[in-house]
Amino acid sequence: MSSTSSRARVAPLRTPRRPEGKKLHFLSSPKKSPVLTLVTGLFVVYCLLPLIWLVINSTKTQADFVSTFGLAFGDHFALWDNIVEVFTFQGGIFSRWLLNTVIYVVLGAGISTFLAALGGYALAKHDFVGKRVFLLTVLGSISVPGIALAIPQFLLFAQLGITNTPWAVLIPSFINPFGLFLMWVFSAQAVPDGLLEAARIDGAGEFRIFFTIAFPLLAPATVTVLLFSFVSIWNNYFLPLIMLKDPNWYPLTIGINQWNMLGSTAGNGALIQNLVITSSLLTIVPLVIAFLSLQRYWQSGLALGAIKD
Amino acid sequence: MRKKRIGAAAAILASVVILSACSAPDSSNEGVVVPTDSPLTLTVWSWDGTVKDAVPGFEKKYPNITVKVVNAGSSIDEYHALDNAIQAGSGVPDIAMFEYFSLPYFAIPGKLADLSKFGADKLSKDYVKGAWGNVTLEKKPYALPSDYGPAVMFYNQAVFQQAGIASPPATWDEFYDAAKKIRALGGDHYITNDSADIFLLMSMIWQGGGRPFSVDGTNVTIDFKDKGSKAAVDFWQKLIDEDLVNTKVSNWTDDWNRGLNEGTIATQLIGGWLTSTLPERAPDAAGDFRVAPLPQRQTGGEIGSENGGSAMAIPEASKNKAAAYAFLKYFTHDAGLKIRVEKGGAFVPNLSVLEDPEFLSAQSDYFGDQKYNEVLATAAEKVGTGWQYPPFFEWARTAYADVAAPFYDSRQGSLAGVLQTWKEKSVAYGNEQGFTVK
Amino acid sequence: MNFSKRRRAGLAFVAPFSVLFLLVFIIPIGYSAYLSLFQNRLIGGNSFVGFDNYAKLFRDPQFWDGAIRVVSFTAVQVPIMLLSAMALALAIDSLRLYGTRFIRIAVFLPYAIPAIVATLMWGFLLGIRYGLIGSLNNALGTSFNPFTPETTMISIGVMVTWAFTGYNMLIFYAALRAVPRELYEAAAIDGANEWRIVRSIKLPALRGSLVVTIIFSIIGTLQLFNEPKILTSLVSNSGITSYYTPNIYAYNLAFTGSQQGYAAALALVMAVFTIAIAYIVQIKGMKNVFDK
Repeated sequence: MSSTSSRARVAPLRTPRRPEGKKLHFLSSPKKSPVLTLVTGLFVVYCLLPLIWLVINSTKTQADFVSTFGLAFGDHFALWDNIVEVFTFQGGIFSRWLLNTVIYVVLGAGISTFLAALGGYALAKHDFVGKRVFLLTVLGSISVPGIALAIPQFLLFAQLGITNTPWAVLIPSFINPFGLFLMWVFSAQAVPDGLLEAARIDGAGEFRIFFTIAFPLLAPATVTVLLFSFVSIWNNYFLPLIMLKDPNWYPLTIGINQWNMLGSTAGNGALIQNLVITSSLLTIVPLVIAFLSLQRYWQSGLALGAIKD
Repeated sequence: MRKKRIGAAAAILASVVILSACSAPDSSNEGVVVPTDSPLTLTVWSWDGTVKDAVPGFEKKYPNITVKVVNAGSSIDEYHALDNAIQAGSGVPDIAMFEYFSLPYFAIPGKLADLSKFGADKLSKDYVKGAWGNVTLEKKPYALPSDYGPAVMFYNQAVFQQAGIASPPATWDEFYDAAKKIRALGGDHYITNDSADIFLLMSMIWQGGGRPFSVDGTNVTIDFKDKGSKAAVDFWQKLIDEDLVNTKVSNWTDDWNRGLNEGTIATQLIGGWLTSTLPERAPDAAGDFRVAPLPQRQTGGEIGSENGGSAMAIPEASKNKAAAYAFLKYFTHDAGLKIRVEKGGAFVPNLSVLEDPEFLSAQSDYFGDQKYNEVLATAAEKVGTGWQYPPFFEWARTAYADVAAPFYDSRQGSLAGVLQTWKEKSVAYGNEQGFTVK
Repeated sequence: MNFSKRRRAGLAFVAPFSVLFLLVFIIPIGYSAYLSLFQNRLIGGNSFVGFDNYAKLFRDPQFWDGAIRVVSFTAVQVPIMLLSAMALALAIDSLRLYGTRFIRIAVFLPYAIPAIVATLMWGFLLGIRYGLIGSLNNALGTSFNPFTPETTMISIGVMVTWAFTGYNMLIFYAALRAVPRELYEAAAIDGANEWRIVRSIKLPALRGSLVVTIIFSIIGTLQLFNEPKILTSLVSNSGITSYYTPNIYAYNLAFTGSQQGYAAALALVMAVFTIAIAYIVQIKGMKNVFDK
């Protein structure tokens, strides 16, 4: 009796008493606030405005783009024409860029997430030589600017003969230090030691334990890391810029940049701003779709992986 | 098969002997033995879209050769890539595109093949003097010119009429008067724009007779105080001081496109190659723009200068130099040239094209049926000679932007001061890099 | 029991990651450190100069100009962004908003946009003559220019905040969702009103994620590169120089100036500096996260 009363202030009640009327109303069904929604709405406008600009301007021809106001529509509605031209310009290289990006993302995100899961799980549940060093080095690597690595990586890969091939872009993408960090934190929280011990007692090997018990439990984190890796690789810009010189292997970001530079460098490069804008729109559509469809997973993944005090 | 090869080799040998005996110029690949038996792939780096037009004809002539034209980046992006590839020892193309000012950087340290080995020095008379001067170092050609940018004046005739200017200014003094009349139209009207545009300034100095850079091997001298340079700089300073030039708009930006489109930028002093993209940049001004020669220092003067233009060279590290030269000559000099001009609209410094009546009579609705190539051809032939670029121009160009932008933004200081600071920085950098610069 | 076998298994788990990490990070960093000891000259090739590059770096006014700029930028932008993210997360968690699903997606969307596209969009939108700002200026009679040497960093701040607030907001929101509801009920029974709950329960619950987001935001913002680099070809007179941020300076040194050794030294100095800051924040923040 006394123990219950001393904990009455903060402990979860074992027999939940129905909360008294209005006092807890704000918890279960609070009154919606138009003011708060409006203020938040301003921020939403801030977030969506450039995207609205993108959509509107994808519908303009090049001539309209130069002569009309940014957020108004042009005289002609050319969205379909622009899309067709994006896919046919320069012999249809855009489709190739799209394919390349898909390959880089599927392989890169898939493999890096898997390696991060393996490593994060081991960090959380295993002891091994050099664990602290490993962890500190990997976390420290996040602080190192890409510029420091770019040229040495390029020279190293050139020695290996893989520059200007997809491997030059793929191999660096297999390392995801932040993903490792997330998987480590998540594994520590979501995989009970008890389950693992029980399996060991039953004689299961470590890898078997990982694949059949731990990995399914890690699903929300895995999807989160996968998704963020997807975005990161899809939008990868600097490394492919240095490693690739054959447009046949460009990802979309480099291709779009090249199209943009045509018209903004001295000389007679073609001015194709309408194509740059339309291709930008096409580039972000898969990302948006991926996010919307996998919402459920990554939101819960972030929830369970969040650091608690 | 073997007989055929011996026969072919003998034919080549014979033709070399015959041709070297007579000294008439011809366009065969004298002294160049192009492998014709085994399959070969040539990689060409070019952001110029007209090169690929020459590929089918060449591949027909040499069925064993496949040519891949790749856009490895525009301008400085491609130079970075080339440097990286040369340093790494792999991925070096067989032919690469260079703007004229970037050639010394690659040629002086020996990164480009000396084309006189393939007989290129015999081609000198086929190009305008200015272009040939750009591709030669110590009298040896390291590249062949592939397009050209004689500096001309594009002007919006409708705006001129609106301002009461009857004919395009023929001298810089007339240009100054015209500038005042256009500014008087009010609003954002200016005769032209300039925001730290190094090529504009260089082209005006060049035309005025200034030769600020002199290069002798690794010895470089920089001097912006010679008579021609000073005259051009002082003139431009006057225009900036009197708010006759729009210093808020840079070339190649969206603002620039719109300014040309609306007529608030009335002229452009720029390379003739703008004919190909001006219609896209300023569609609403169709029929209004015309081309005229650059204003002169004195009435009746006829000196031109350059603003841009490119050449193609063969990196020393290429493994297919003979075959590469064959293609290079094909699309910058022989049959491939004509295709590029007709199909792609390339503006080239080859006299065979510039003196071709068909070329000279070209017209377009955009330029109001003016025979603009006549103006461009004359300008190309009149380019003043003796200009040199320093061998670290890409660096210098970036440094110029750093130094000049604050001046154009705040108008504090002077253009001459900017050039002095730029010179000092270039001297420091050049010396640090192993050149002897003063 | 079979601890040595467990240990070996542990190593086997991290082996694939480690091997690639060696190839992609350790060796290049080592090589970078090696390169930083050499001076590269266009004429005369490379020569060993020991720590000269580092000494030169500390005397280089262009380096300090860029370094001070990013540090000041980080000191202002990160708090603004994280405070906005927290406020948004709290607002959404309060359940007082209409359309929370839509708001979450909308605010997060900018994160998915590649830098090249984002910079293009903002570059056009903020254009003084023909963008939104231009029209606002015309309507209000003002002449505000978001891309002058004085205002460019503010505009870049607008872009960076736009891109990452949603991402940080979701991290905070997830942390809030993890708070057991019973805590709220207990507090409410004790008479706490909503603001009190925010102060005493929600904000402390965010402490952990705040430390993490601060660290990663600082790391990311100190490496500012994409936005200024892409903007140079879009806008005039913006004040963006070839040494605007340390990363841009390193890039230009390495590629335009052919001074790879010097660029390597610069990048390594920035890396050490960033790691030091991250470590300090972590020490001052939470200790127990890394003690697991």
